[in-house]
Amino acid sequence: MNLRMTTAAMTCGLLAFATAAKADSGGPVCGLNTGEAATGEPIRVGGISGNAPPGDFSGGTRAAAAYFACVNANGGIHGRPIAYSVGNDQWNPELAGQIASRLVEDEGVVALVGNGSVVEMAVNAELYAEHGVMAMASGCAISECFESANIVSTNQGPLPSGIGALRFAIEELGAEHAACIGFNIPNNGGWACDWMNRYMEQHGLRGTSILMDPTSVDLNGTYLQALASGADTILLMLPAGPAIGLLGVAEEQAGRDMFNWVSPTPLYEPGVTEVLGDYWDGHIYINIELNQFDSDGADNRNWIAVMDAHGRDGDRRDTFSQAGYLSARFFVEALLELDPESIDRASVTDAIRGIVGAESDLLCGPFYVGDGDRHMPNHRGRMVVLRGDAFELVRNCFDIDTAYLEPILEQERRLGLRD
Amino acid sequence: MKPNFRSALALLFFCVAIFVLPLVLGGFWIRAFTSAAIFALAAAGVGLVYAQLGLINLSQIALIGVGGWIALRLNFATDLPVFLLVVIAGLGTSALGALFALPALRLRGLYLALVTLMVAATFQILFNAFQFPNGGSGFWGVAQQSGQAMRRPSIATSDAAYLAFSMVWLALGLLLIEAHKRSAPGRAWKMIRMSEANAMAAGINVTWFKIWAFALSGFLAGTAGALLAGALRQLDARSFTAIEGVLLFALAVVGGVYSWVGAVLAGVLYKLLPALLNNLGVTSDLALIVFGVALLHAIMTAPRGIAGQFEALFQRKDKA
Amino acid sequence: MMTVYGLFMVSGLAVGSLYALGGIGLVILRRSTGFLNFSYGAIAAFSAMTAWQISQWGAPVPVAWIGAVLTGFVLSVTFGYALAPRLSHREPAIKAVATLGYLLILLGLMGLLWDHSLRRLDLPTDRIAVMVLGVRVTVTRLIVLGLAISAVIAMIVYLDRTRTGLNMRALADNRGHAALLGVPILRVETIAWGISGAMAGLTGVFFGSLVRLDPTVITFMVIPALAAAICGRLTSLPMTLIGGLFIGVVESMLALFPTLSAYRTMAPYIIAGLIILWMQRGNKLTFATGD
Repeated sequence: MNLRMTTAAMTCGLLAFATAAKADSGGPVCGLNTGEAATGEPIRVGGISGNAPPGDFSGGTRAAAAYFACVNANGGIHGRPIAYSVGNDQWNPELAGQIASRLVEDEGVVALVGNGSVVEMAVNAELYAEHGVMAMASGCAISECFESANIVSTNQGPLPSGIGALRFAIEELGAEHAACIGFNIPNNGGWACDWMNRYMEQHGLRGTSILMDPTSVDLNGTYLQALASGADTILLMLPAGPAIGLLGVAEEQAGRDMFNWVSPTPLYEPGVTEVLGDYWDGHIYINIELNQFDSDGADNRNWIAVMDAHGRDGDRRDTFSQAGYLSARFFVEALLELDPESIDRASVTDAIRGIVGAESDLLCGPFYVGDGDRHMPNHRGRMVVLRGDAFELVRNCFDIDTAYLEPILEQERRLGLRD
Repeated sequence: MKPNFRSALALLFFCVAIFVLPLVLGGFWIRAFTSAAIFALAAAGVGLVYAQLGLINLSQIALIGVGGWIALRLNFATDLPVFLLVVIAGLGTSALGALFALPALRLRGLYLALVTLMVAATFQILFNAFQFPNGGSGFWGVAQQSGQAMRRPSIATSDAAYLAFSMVWLALGLLLIEAHKRSAPGRAWKMIRMSEANAMAAGINVTWFKIWAFALSGFLAGTAGALLAGALRQLDARSFTAIEGVLLFALAVVGGVYSWVGAVLAGVLYKLLPALLNNLGVTSDLALIVFGVALLHAIMTAPRGIAGQFEALFQRKDKA
Repeated sequence: MMTVYGLFMVSGLAVGSLYALGGIGLVILRRSTGFLNFSYGAIAAFSAMTAWQISQWGAPVPVAWIGAVLTGFVLSVTFGYALAPRLSHREPAIKAVATLGYLLILLGLMGLLWDHSLRRLDLPTDRIAVMVLGVRVTVTRLIVLGLAISAVIAMIVYLDRTRTGLNMRALADNRGHAALLGVPILRVETIAWGISGAMAGLTGVFFGSLVRLDPTVITFMVIPALAAAICGRLTSLPMTLIGGLFIGVVESMLALFPTLSAYRTMAPYIIAGLIILWMQRGNKLTFATGD
């Protein structure tokens, strides 16, 4: 065991070194980084993401595909290439189940990487557990995704990210009464806004949930509801589209200065600055789950290099994409420690569960999996503010203090990541 | 086609569906066929009301959701066997379906279709707001932490066995419709369709038989909902939007409402075609276009549905 | 407290005028061709996206507007001229369901043409506003209300005073008889599809600007718009206008009741359902024929 840990640490160290070295020269750094194409027997890996109206969560699987292509061009997994097969669940629960069956039962993938969806995880969590296959997701947004033994994500989801935004609002903006505007869906808006209110109460402050139907046209009414509630802070617990819509009616009502405006990650998307325009300059604070798209860390630059070299035109370069890159990188690093001949579902699952203390400048803390019955390794974030046509970092990595994380922190203590 | 030949064909079809398909299909197709069978059952209900009474029900999708809700609710509240859950969900939903029939006593045609569409739109929002029970506490039974799964019958715990289980229900549902068509209700519906005045004059209780048709259709929707809950082990509100209700009716018409083959075709078009396109790697946008074109084409060229075209084909051969 | 009511009422009128505008477009087409067009929202969405695309290319705002209206016109006439005649003998509900096919096609096309990026459609009139009972009402919203009212008046005059209008009414009443009387059916119907399509184009631009520029959102706006049309029994334009405004106000006012506010989106459907039932309360089907 000790020996394995040492080799693991050495491989990680070497990879980190290689990453830093090659990223400086501009090209991507992937896996063994040999520059030779892998030609051995392919290792089957799957991925499921949702891309249909009303949203595109394909960033994670696209980035994973790019990273795997890069790995395959650079020695693969000790000579074996990764055959990556991705399904689109189109936000349809039945389709999500069918695709998972195809990947897990018919194609026999050793793991799933880069998953991003709001339906897939709820439908398939049990299937993954039954078949002992791990899903290294990168676009989780619902409770099931963080509360299953076989799903672990590199993104945070609305709960930690929202609480991070609230903490910032309390400490830096003097928020005393926050209105959480979310969708009236129990495992999404209801779940997240409940925890937001609990967080406010825990600090002796007030929280109000304002829930609306996803199809609601009357955003004006929702905004007025927030106004009538007497809140001083609005937390936009919404996907980017509706959040922009709400900010639009707020602008119409000249409501910018009536509230502090904070949001979890979804609003941090390329193109948001243009869509929001000058009016919101300096007034919207967003908690980001991973480092900024233009940050200078080696891993972020390598993400861009991988996407430039192996991505497709039109691949989204959003938080999901960064998260997909990270999931794929951690996955490949775990595989590289295995004997390439003994790679099967069981050994891969063990290897993924064995990931402890993996690091990246995209994250604020170590990434780990372990054998807990729930996973949320990424729960520290940063805050940015909309400034001009870009986002400016206003607070670097900080902790999120909520009772929700207690079982997670307990896991970290057991794994020796926390005192 | 002679009746005997027809029955033999139906028997053969279901023997293959129940005994052969689960053995030969892979995991992906097993699940896709299960969905198709379940929605064929629901489509049979829509088709029944439309074919027998000329009435349009766009709220069937809401009834499927209600059936699923009842099954899930009882699943977590009781230890009843799954078979009973399905039956109770069907009966409960049929009561609601009968309630939906009340507007049909005064309305028909487009107006009735629109009332049912408004019902479906209302239920869409309710489903979103309350979701489906997943083992949580309270009446609505929704746990905000990750939930538990719907049971499956002990004889059908695997996906393959569950496909056979669903097919059996489809066969039973279609038999139930056939039995109705060939007995008193069928004759009554036929008279009502031709002329309510004549039907009344013949001593037929028009109100009762209209409600009966809606209740039967609701029963099929309810069982379909319960089966769907078992297939997915849970339900999500995204499956039950108003526009899906319109689509289900459209596909029932495209399949053909006058025979059981039409209902099966509707299930195939509704669930198997999208699965096929998805499996072929067709993007969801292109799949929508293909689907839309197919729908328009079928409605324009086959007034009696695709099943009607098959039938015509056979009849021509019989004559020749 | 009074001011709060005022606030929500004005806001409700603003949303209601959007419902009404959509409903009016549906009723115009339904009255003159017998088609209840589920794809109306998809046509509107396509037009709004086109307007956005044109302004992205750097064209001035009026060009974008004209582009939207033309897109709506062309898309609507395409269906009306090429496909609708082949459905003319089918019952109204089947006609309506057929337009769902067109909706799916347009939705797919939009997905192919425009990815899921964030977009925003700004109108110059967004910047100017008046205060009404404590709510800022932008000129854009006033235009929507004005457009809905003037569309009602213009259509009433058109249907009453012009030859084409008369033909349209004849067609709507009985297609077969109108044909016997020598009404040029195809031409008149095509004009109706064109008018309705142009309306959809304009409506799309306003939806895109005031609600959200998202193809799916605008496409499915057709369902609440349908609720407004139902208030007008699918035939009366003034009643559609009033109905749309009414359901908008009710929906908005429900936000004042905490227990109901999360479900207030149901208001249009419940109101529309009750209105149909009320209108048809004395109806007996005993001697009903046709539809």
